[in-house]
Amino acid sequence: MEFTTQDKGLYTEVSANGRLNMVAAPKLREVIAGVVDAGGKRIVVNLTDTTFMDSSGLGALIGCLKLARQSGGDLRIAAVQPQVNMVLELTSMHRVLTPHSTPEEAFRND
Amino acid sequence: MTDVVARRTLQEPATDQAIEDLHDALDQLWVDAGFVPAMDQMAFTTAVIEAASNVVQHGVPAEGAELNLGVELTVSSERLRAVISEIGAAALDPVPDLDGSAPSADADDDALLEDFDESGRGLSMIRALVTTVTVERQGDTNVWVLSRDSTGS
Repeated sequence: MEFTTQDKGLYTEVSANGRLNMVAAPKLREVIAGVVDAGGKRIVVNLTDTTFMDSSGLGALIGCLKLARQSGGDLRIAAVQPQVNMVLELTSMHRVLTPHSTPEEAFRND
Repeated sequence: MTDVVARRTLQEPATDQAIEDLHDALDQLWVDAGFVPAMDQMAFTTAVIEAASNVVQHGVPAEGAELNLGVELTVSSERLRAVISEIGAAALDPVPDLDGSAPSADADDDALLEDFDESGRGLSMIRALVTTVTVERQGDTNVWVLSRDSTGS
């Protein structure tokens, strides 16, 4: 899995390309920790090209959400594919990580 | 016994690479078994990766043994089946609770976030995604069998 980080002005976008599984999960934690350390408060994880997520990947996202909130920011997700959505709903985690249709919309109403 | 129309097998050391190779094997399986509805493919793939990841992350080798992951995936007209073998493993202690109830969906959102438990979540996901799941000890191997009835035929 490959991650790319882009400063979008109002938020930092982290795109995750590939499978967010037990192999990729620690890398996601590192990337998000780097964004938070650099002072990023509003983070959007763009999941357009994330073809798969398991409980390890979800655990990493939850950990990253907690980290962002602890530093006074927030983390949101956008553009989820069907398998990722299935995992979110199965675990009820869509209630705390509500998918937004596009990265631009994630912080639009704040 | 229904006829098997697609099959993939894999056996290698229980490492990160085995999980990536298993993803590839599943992708190839669905090329051969494209008639299986997308929802069944998704649910089965997720359950298989959860179970195999559990072996790689939490499997304990028996004394002096190397832990290997063995997977046999079969598709028949009405059933998807995975036999996931934890080869060279110590006996499971405790044996995972495969009948436990899912975490309460009534918890408020903060509690949901605080109580998130990855490994427990993996098992409850497997239970929710397949029709039956069993685990048993055979010699030096813990054998997980996941089966999902497919609505495809």
